[in-house]
Amino acid sequence: MASTSGETSHPVVFTTQTAYPLPSQKFMIPTSWRRYQLSQLVNKALSLPKPIPFDFLVRGEILRGTLAEWCAEKSIGEEETLEIEYFESVMPPQKMSSLPHEDWVSSVSCQLSGRFFLTACYDGNVRAFDYSQKLLHSASVHAAPLTSVCVVPSSSPSSELLIASASHDLTARLTTLTLPANSSEPASSKTVASLHLHTAPLASVAANGTGTHLLTASWDGLIGVWDTSISEEDEAPAEEPTERKKRRRVEEDASRPKRKAPLAVLKSHTARVSKAVFDTNGEQAYSCGFDSTVRVWDVENGVCTNTVAASSKPFLDLALTPSGTSALACSTDRTVSQYDFRAAATHLAAPTASLAHPATPACVAVSPAAGEHQLVTGAYDGAVRLWDLRSTKGAVTSFRAWEATLKKGGKVLSVDWARGVVGVGGEGGVEIWRVGESEQAVHH
Amino acid sequence: MHSEDEGGDEAEDEDDGEAEQFPEIDTRSDSEDENENENGSAADAEEDEDVEDDEDDEEEEDESEVDTEDDDLRIYPKPKTVISDITGQPKRVYPEIEADYDSDSSTEDTPNRVGNIPMHWYDDLPHVGYDVNGKKVLRPARGDELDKFLETVEDPSAWTSAFDKNTQRDKPLTEEELDLIRRLQENENPDSAYDPYEPTIEWFTGKGKEEVMPLSGAPEPKRRWVPSKWEKQKIMKIVRAIRQGRIIPNKPKTASTQPQFYNIWNDEPSNVAPPLPAPKPRLPTNAESYNPPEEYLPTEEERKQWEGTDKEDRERDFLPQKYGALRLVPAYDQFIQERFSRQLDLYLAPRVQRVKLQIDPNSLIPKLPSPSSLKPFPVYKSLHVSHDAHRVRALSVSPDGAWAVSGDENGNVGLWEVMVGKEVKRWKFPGKVGAVEWCPRTDVSFFVVAIEEHLHFIVPPNLPTPVLVATQALLAPATLPPAPATPSPVKWVSTAAAASSSDLPILTLSLPSSSGLPKQIVWHRKGDYLSTVSSGEGQGGVWIHQVSRRHSQAPFRKVKGSIQLVLFHPTKPHFFVATQRYVRMYNLAEQKLLKTLTPGIRWISCMDVHPSGDHLIVGGYDRKLCWFDLELSDKPYKILRYHTRALRAVHFHPTYPLFASSSDDGSIQVFHARVYNDLMTNPLIVPLKILRGHTVKEGLGVLQVRWCPRQPWLVSAGADGEVAVWCS
Repeated sequence: MASTSGETSHPVVFTTQTAYPLPSQKFMIPTSWRRYQLSQLVNKALSLPKPIPFDFLVRGEILRGTLAEWCAEKSIGEEETLEIEYFESVMPPQKMSSLPHEDWVSSVSCQLSGRFFLTACYDGNVRAFDYSQKLLHSASVHAAPLTSVCVVPSSSPSSELLIASASHDLTARLTTLTLPANSSEPASSKTVASLHLHTAPLASVAANGTGTHLLTASWDGLIGVWDTSISEEDEAPAEEPTERKKRRRVEEDASRPKRKAPLAVLKSHTARVSKAVFDTNGEQAYSCGFDSTVRVWDVENGVCTNTVAASSKPFLDLALTPSGTSALACSTDRTVSQYDFRAAATHLAAPTASLAHPATPACVAVSPAAGEHQLVTGAYDGAVRLWDLRSTKGAVTSFRAWEATLKKGGKVLSVDWARGVVGVGGEGGVEIWRVGESEQAVHH
Repeated sequence: MHSEDEGGDEAEDEDDGEAEQFPEIDTRSDSEDENENENGSAADAEEDEDVEDDEDDEEEEDESEVDTEDDDLRIYPKPKTVISDITGQPKRVYPEIEADYDSDSSTEDTPNRVGNIPMHWYDDLPHVGYDVNGKKVLRPARGDELDKFLETVEDPSAWTSAFDKNTQRDKPLTEEELDLIRRLQENENPDSAYDPYEPTIEWFTGKGKEEVMPLSGAPEPKRRWVPSKWEKQKIMKIVRAIRQGRIIPNKPKTASTQPQFYNIWNDEPSNVAPPLPAPKPRLPTNAESYNPPEEYLPTEEERKQWEGTDKEDRERDFLPQKYGALRLVPAYDQFIQERFSRQLDLYLAPRVQRVKLQIDPNSLIPKLPSPSSLKPFPVYKSLHVSHDAHRVRALSVSPDGAWAVSGDENGNVGLWEVMVGKEVKRWKFPGKVGAVEWCPRTDVSFFVVAIEEHLHFIVPPNLPTPVLVATQALLAPATLPPAPATPSPVKWVSTAAAASSSDLPILTLSLPSSSGLPKQIVWHRKGDYLSTVSSGEGQGGVWIHQVSRRHSQAPFRKVKGSIQLVLFHPTKPHFFVATQRYVRMYNLAEQKLLKTLTPGIRWISCMDVHPSGDHLIVGGYDRKLCWFDLELSDKPYKILRYHTRALRAVHFHPTYPLFASSSDDGSIQVFHARVYNDLMTNPLIVPLKILRGHTVKEGLGVLQVRWCPRQPWLVSAGADGEVAVWCS
């Protein structure tokens, strides 16, 4: 169907994992075609009602120029049949809004059902924003810099949200945030519990899918497992020196946050644990640390079931792919490595994919809606990059946060990606970018 | 030949024919007479040989015939030997010459009398000359070529005739002339009268001719009959030698008389180089010509310059000169001098074969492992923290490697996370920050900041309660320890533990006034003692403070040179003190000098000791870095010079085998330094990486480098106000 006279053409077989498969037959494609013509070909062949742009992967590389240029670069003969995989292309990222902060933002969360953003700032405040850049609430949860914030999902829909935050002050805290439906009423917050285990600043806090348990990771190499129920009594004793004075005050002040003790402590890391997350069903936990290991934990029994021991790769952040079979970990040697836990234990030390960055990648995020292969990373050079794991040679697209405000490019400390929206937190505050999915996905 | 002769003779001499006795030999009238005379005078006392000769002539055909012919064919008349009547001796008598018809050439009929002139003058004329009467002698008629040919065939004497130009006709050669030609052809003496075999004449020998009288009247010498003593000596010498066996007469033939063969290729080829050929002299150029082109002639300036320079410095040892001809070229005046110096060259600088070293230059480079096999080490700048362009001279990383504290010359001290680079707290002090240093203890956590004549002890925020309590109890104890016996000029002032916070120093040490800015703080590994070096004068500026006893002391009453740096030994009670040129090692327990290290650096700038305590590196402002093996020698084991500007800081990694040095050229160099417990194995030092990223400001580059404990990360502070973290 694509036969043109006078031009050289190349035999091509199309494959896809999208919902738009072409019949598996050999096409003769003119070598002067680019992505646009190929995308038009797929659209016309399928006679789609609304045109969908596609991107094309030729042997694990995204086609950027013409087919002839690609063949010349790889010195592929004209007779060889090429297998081209296509997927829905990623729209160029668009900046939606900018949420300025006075201090650095260490963590940003977009998980709040599309309505709000939560940011954790180095000034100790957790802030909630809506989509119109309006500050809904600012809660001073900690006196020390915050390092991580997450929303504890709740099964019952209510206007009260439970938020977990981790800080340099050696504790994590649970805060209830009441965000009224209409914006005229003021939002309110109350810190209900503080989690006492760690003897060093905390690095991350994460909740499981049902909102029953929390994981905290700390610089002292421990991972705490907590439940989210708030008991009436202090589970952990207060610290010694201020005991007497505080106890008197406790009786007077009922609103004082309750001290919680961990359900279990996961000990195996020999250095700072930089991130600990639950998998989707909440039975297993994954953690990574500065001791160059990624560990898989059986939370129920509190034992380490699997360990990836990389060599000299202190890991900074970790994200699980939506299917939960592999983990993506950023390390200070400027790579983001993918470890597939289905592989045999002996092969675990070698990453299945390695994405090289020009600067230290500090954070990584995946979106369930964006599919199995895509991820975003934020690096210390201020760039947020969108990668496709099928094409590891270069990023699919990238954008720079705070290009206008910070000249040298501030460090990106946190990215979160949900429903086509990437929240970027770092040196210059927070920026919201629309990445990946179409506008429909954002709106519904 | 012989027969031809005969033929010729027949034709010629018909008139002589009848007188001939020997038909083979042609004789002329002279020889005829002779023979007759000889025969006639047979009665004379002729010798036998002569007679025999004649007889021989008759008998033999060839050789003697020739001889007789020679005799016969004389041009001159042969002399006759007769016995003189008067003397009785034989004498030669020549026959009288008869003026007969053909004896004189004048009687010959030579019609042409033109003389010896070129005859071609008459070529065009009908005559060939004039006769004696002045009549023209007409050119004889000459036949054509056919006639000539016929003549040669018919006339047998044609081949012995020659063309006579004078008469313009062929003239037959005479017998004498033919004989002369024949002799010349046979390389014989042309004179037929010459007899090479003349009989010898015995003058002195033979009967009756003996000498009767001796020639000399001298008496017979004694040696003629006395045996020679000298000969006897010589003979006795030989006899003695034979007796003693030194000479073996009749030496027995060794194996056999057979010739000995040997394989000339049997031996190994000689290793000795063949004698060198003399070097070839350079070929002369145009300038050395006696008549060089004009452009080779020196100008006046060049000539002056050439004459002005010394002989040894001249580019060439002559000046080109122009001569019109080779014969005008004078003798070479330098010849003797040149030969002499050549001889000097030959015997003072004999030619030797210079053994050229065939060494691959790469093989001289020590075999070092590749840097990629020595990972991890810092390779890139991960992040940086800005100090608002104030020079950052002080930098320290906490013992757990999570925090870094840096102080600049504006008095700002910042505490920041190493991995994020976020400054979480900042203190402002009046004056420059000379040094900051974390206490190496892990049960307490605090750091010391050195400001003008003060040491401030600061507790960082967000400590776990047990650590905070222990720190407060250490630095601000409720009950002060007993005052030392000798009061120290250093004042220790604490704020109460309850009132203390991380905003203000919990403890302040006031050094005596005019002691200057402390530029270095070093902790003992146990964290109880710390030593400071002040820039000011007096007491060497060195103080050792003990935190638990709240006591300070000056260890040196008087020190040679100004002290630059001090250092505690990590395991032993030893104390390193670096002056400008020397590093002295003291034993603090025994209070004595152990050794003095001489790095050979003009001004020491930085120093660090290996965590094992056996190795010391010293850097200097003169760009050198010396590695000392303390058990080996007082001299450096290795001197490295790789920075282009002065070294500012060196630091050993506490756990990894790494060290780093920073310099005013704005670069940091990272080395792999593996030391072995084995005393025989030398430390392995491998340069790994040059980290560039700091900008040089006012001639100052990277002022301080520190490693992160537990991680192969490097923190560096520069004069450009940036503090950078370098990650692997």
